[in-house]
Amino acid sequence: MTTTNRKALLISPELCIGCRGCQTACKAWNQLPGTKTVNRGTVENPPDLTPQLYNRIRYVEMPSETSVRWLFVNQRCMHCGDAGCMKICPAPGALYRTKEGAVAFDKDKCIGCKLCVEGCPFDVPRYDEKGKIAKCHLCFDRIAYGLLPACAKTCPTGAIRYGERDALVEMAKKAGYQKVYGEMDLEGLGAIYAFRDAPKIYGYAEKPGIPESVVFWHKVLKPLSYIGLGGVVAASLIHYVAFGPKKDEEVKKDE
Amino acid sequence: MTNHWVDVKNADVILVMGSNPAENHPISMKWVMRARERGAKLIVVDPRFTRTAAKADLYAPMRSGTDIAFLGGMIKYILDNNLYFKQYVVDYTNSSFLVNPEFKGPGQLNGLFSGYDPKTRKYDKKTWSFQMEENGIPKKDPSLRNPSCVFQLLKKHYSRYTLDKVSSITGTPKEKLEEVYKLYASTGKPDKAGTELYAMGWTQHTIGTQNIRAMCIVQLLLGNIGIAGGGINALRGESNVQGSTDHGLLFNILPGYNPVPSASIVDLKTYIDKFTPKTKDPKSVNWWGNRPKYITSYLKAIYGKAATKDNDFGYAWLPKLDEGMNGSWLVLFDQMFKGKFEGFFAWGQNPACSGANANKTRKALAKLKWMVNINLFDNETASFWKGPDMKPAEIQTEVFFLPAASSVEKEGSITNSSRLAQWRYKAIEPVGQSMPDSEIMNELYFRVKKLYQKQGGKFPAPVVNLTWDYGEKGPDGKIKHVDISLVAREINGYYLEDIIDKKATPPKQLGKKGVLCTNFVTLQADGTTSCGNWIFSGSYTQKDGKVINMMARRGKDDPTGLGFFSGWAWAWPVNRRIIYNRASVDPQGRPWDPKRAVIKWNAAKEDPNTKKPGVWEGDVPDGPAPPLAMEGGKYPFIMMATGMGAIFGPGLADGPFPEHYEALECPLEENLMSKQRINPTIKLFYDKASGVPEDIYFSCDVRFPYVATTYRVSEHWQTGVLTRHQPWQLEMQPQMFVEMSEELAKEKGIRDGDKVTVSSGRGKLWAVAIVTDRFKPFKVAGSTVHQVGMPWCFGWQYPEDGSGGESANLLTPTIGDANTMIPESKAFMVNVEKA
Amino acid sequence: MSNNAMVRKASSFEIVNHWALAVSFFVLAVSGYAFLFHLEGVGSVFGGFNQMRAVHNWAGVVFAVSLFLTIFHYLPVSLHFTSDDAAWFGKAGGYFSKRAAVPPQDELNAGQKLYYLVVLAAGVVISASGIVIWLRPWAKSGILLSHLLHNISFDLMVIAIPAHIYLATLANPGTFRIMVYGTVPLSWAKKRHAKWVQRMGF
Ligand code: SF4
Ligand code: SF4
Repeated sequence: MTTTNRKALLISPELCIGCRGCQTACKAWNQLPGTKTVNRGTVENPPDLTPQLYNRIRYVEMPSETSVRWLFVNQRCMHCGDAGCMKICPAPGALYRTKEGAVAFDKDKCIGCKLCVEGCPFDVPRYDEKGKIAKCHLCFDRIAYGLLPACAKTCPTGAIRYGERDALVEMAKKAGYQKVYGEMDLEGLGAIYAFRDAPKIYGYAEKPGIPESVVFWHKVLKPLSYIGLGGVVAASLIHYVAFGPKKDEEVKKDE
Repeated sequence: MTNHWVDVKNADVILVMGSNPAENHPISMKWVMRARERGAKLIVVDPRFTRTAAKADLYAPMRSGTDIAFLGGMIKYILDNNLYFKQYVVDYTNSSFLVNPEFKGPGQLNGLFSGYDPKTRKYDKKTWSFQMEENGIPKKDPSLRNPSCVFQLLKKHYSRYTLDKVSSITGTPKEKLEEVYKLYASTGKPDKAGTELYAMGWTQHTIGTQNIRAMCIVQLLLGNIGIAGGGINALRGESNVQGSTDHGLLFNILPGYNPVPSASIVDLKTYIDKFTPKTKDPKSVNWWGNRPKYITSYLKAIYGKAATKDNDFGYAWLPKLDEGMNGSWLVLFDQMFKGKFEGFFAWGQNPACSGANANKTRKALAKLKWMVNINLFDNETASFWKGPDMKPAEIQTEVFFLPAASSVEKEGSITNSSRLAQWRYKAIEPVGQSMPDSEIMNELYFRVKKLYQKQGGKFPAPVVNLTWDYGEKGPDGKIKHVDISLVAREINGYYLEDIIDKKATPPKQLGKKGVLCTNFVTLQADGTTSCGNWIFSGSYTQKDGKVINMMARRGKDDPTGLGFFSGWAWAWPVNRRIIYNRASVDPQGRPWDPKRAVIKWNAAKEDPNTKKPGVWEGDVPDGPAPPLAMEGGKYPFIMMATGMGAIFGPGLADGPFPEHYEALECPLEENLMSKQRINPTIKLFYDKASGVPEDIYFSCDVRFPYVATTYRVSEHWQTGVLTRHQPWQLEMQPQMFVEMSEELAKEKGIRDGDKVTVSSGRGKLWAVAIVTDRFKPFKVAGSTVHQVGMPWCFGWQYPEDGSGGESANLLTPTIGDANTMIPESKAFMVNVEKA
Repeated sequence: MSNNAMVRKASSFEIVNHWALAVSFFVLAVSGYAFLFHLEGVGSVFGGFNQMRAVHNWAGVVFAVSLFLTIFHYLPVSLHFTSDDAAWFGKAGGYFSKRAAVPPQDELNAGQKLYYLVVLAAGVVISASGIVIWLRPWAKSGILLSHLLHNISFDLMVIAIPAHIYLATLANPGTFRIMVYGTVPLSWAKKRHAKWVQRMGF
């Protein structure tokens, strides 16, 4: 990714109190409807990202020796530097990079092929009733005007912070986080996490990556389709020049 | 709050006990987390591992209703290990006062203090008094060694709260107790600050007031009152609940915490004599000595020109309580249940879900002739007659529903827990036919007054003499629209005459006729000033002829870095951000902790008013008097007649020291602390001989074996009337639930997400089981005690398909705190079965 | 029969069907490239990617149906391998030498059989995966696999089909008229499909 002054979100589960102001603020800004849910024996709700839910808090309860640990982890699009969704998307402009480095989308351009979720290492994109992509877009329509993303604006504790990516990385390191999740991965995530422990405790892969098959597709199959075509055309030309056409007259001579 | 929200960031140790700010006051956690970023430690003590506990450095579980045992153990720990702040304790608290030698404590009297009368269930407080010198000042022993001094009595009283005893009462493991005690007691050093955040987890108990008192004692011992990052801080559950109590919401107080008179207090003089404390100690400010000014100015504010010296400023028109009458929530609904009321205004409330024993409340509503419900949405109260188990055909209550405007549809002030009055503006016009409350009151007032004027009636004077100068009058004499700023000005008060300080030489003009009061210092007891609420005097003032709404200020300067933001809105009293701040300095006026100086005495600077050397710098000090050790110096606790922090507190109904009693409904046959199981001074609504079955309770009964508590959730507001109609909120928290431990669930064959029935002696409801490690069984008195918890934000009326469930208040008992009558909904007994 | 006489190589149905295949393939390939490489210019010809997607899907249907119809005609022949095929391969169809004498062939030579089988196989895979992508009968699983298969078969086709076009036009003058008239000069047939000519008794 080649955006200078890249912006990002710094998410610190240690600071998150699980109030879900972010979840609601996002719905308010994006005018997403509330959906009918049930209590499944947990505080967490809805159970997953949906086309009406761009970010949510996952409540991870873990027994520990002393009592219990309860983690609150904000789940959303990571605005990857090397975005699998963009890589895989067949419709130009459906997924695009804003000048702040966000991966935004344009429903009008989305062709509803539902491919992007396949390319996403974080299982983020969802599709609305028309089959069009829906996910966090880093409030591209706020940040472009110098406003904070709705979630970061609402968060009371600073668990979601928005700003210059480099400055946020530095801030997290200063606060004692040796490793900032997503600092380097996938050419740097646009949502970086200050994890106290191994990422998998928070439900994230140690080394996130775009699926091998997507890379294979991108690196081999796609190029092959034009190399192949070009090759055949070139070979035909060479053949034509070198050997020329098979003419019926030759048959006559042979006879 | 003695301190304020932002100040929490200044603390070194934050004790969250009796509250759950992450879930119920999420914004406050901003300051808690700021403190933690600075290295502060957060302690959470709660029966359940809450979202706040998830952020804690130290979490200790504790069985509901045993806070006094827990804190009593802390007091013992502090005293045993000499961790108290000696100079503060000696100079600024009543620890050195000698108590009446007749006084006896629960250790000697089987759980009772001296003077108990079992017939009236009241104490005769004669022995709870101080020994007096001839000049009328309490006898003191600054060495704290006299066995009759408060300090020694305190020590003796809490010597019974041993770690073993406390642990077996609370169910908190001993190591955890010690860890908490050690960490919190570390704030007893002059340069350390500890703060306490509490809410309904402390107040909603039969020992609620004493829970808070116990913490006050801890804070006084550790020198944590008056300092930055200290204090004892009530987190108010509604954005404006502070404002409403300030302005006389409760049955027993008039605006500004003046007591409501009872019928026997026949005239203003008797009132003033009774409620104006006296002191002979020249060092005591004894602020309540100003009571005559405040009550008189209040009468002038509400009765205006009709209030004259000759008619006692209309004192006779003030509503009076009958002798011994209690008008608190439980009593009101008990009376309603007994058919003693004809009508009821349920204004901005939903008692069918919000109050304890809501089934009784719902039945009580059916006994009314009429009810007016004023709210944003229809709710369980307005529609009670078609609720579950109701027979609409048999209910004669005529219900009126008046739609009210929401907070963004009107202008006015709200006062938050920081005592900060902030002015808000109208964002949008009220929807449909809804009106701001003030407009509804205006209509009501006008019509009622007209009826009184026309028909006379029994006692028209209080209504017809009421001032109502809140805007332009129409041809019918009605105020067309209430100008809320005129209400604010009436609260602030006016000079009705030129006010001259005749004692000054030369006499000085304090106020000019017709001008808004500067502050309450200039209020008068002779009817020459009016003031609707003395503590708010100074909130809407006039300077150089210009009217200034102090509450609308939005200054963002913070010169001290301590977060006072003194230019932001306005805090009562006189924009003081930390009250009792004179206790933050030593008797010479030097801050205990110079790094966190709330105020400090600058002897080099000249006071611009008195032209004498020496001024206070920093926050607005508790009075301009110089430091205690100097000539004219004053004690820090200006609201106490003695000027001292009350370690011995004889004012309460249930004892001068907090003593552990069990909840009305508890899992134990006996109180491990004494023979007295429950608070001896609570009003019992039910006993076998009398009482209605609705008020029944079951303590230590196999039918209801589990301790229960109620709470709120971040996602819903109070009974949920506002938030259940909000699909975003409902999506996150859609259904009634009950949280329980893995162990209890296993015993009962309940799995996570199962539907279960929770029942108490007073009702039952269904809930989804949340089986969690965040609840753990307690080891109490050698056996296992399970606890469960439920929210009270759901109700049958909405969502309309009934998918939400019901309020936990269907289960809570009819019993209240001995002092405040706040219902005990944080500790009671239930059963849980798989549905 | 004179060498200039015309013999019928394809029925009019075959001609129409082949055109259907050719046109649909062209549309599919062009839009396919546009999808793969975000060719916005191409997209705008279709009136945007959404319309292009619809066109691509329906063109795919045409292609699949046409391909299916070819089965009756070509599949049996193509599956019938003889010694001639080995011989044909031995001479590489005579394409890499001006002199090489290619042994007489029946209706289809080995290259043509192989080509047909490749296109048929790729066609089946591309159609089936296309349907999965379009209609998503199993929600999420299989989508990526379908795309990979779709792209693999596409790669095969864009290699095989242009070769076919070259061989049927420039490389073998006179061949293209089959797609127009269905007939070829006897001389053409004799040179390329002598056995067939013999068998048919032209
Ligand atoms: S997280 Fe997924 S959707 Fe978001 S940018 Fe990365 S690949 Fe795309
Ligand atoms: S708003 Fe902030 S603190 Fe609240 S849940 Fe979201 S991230 Fe956590």
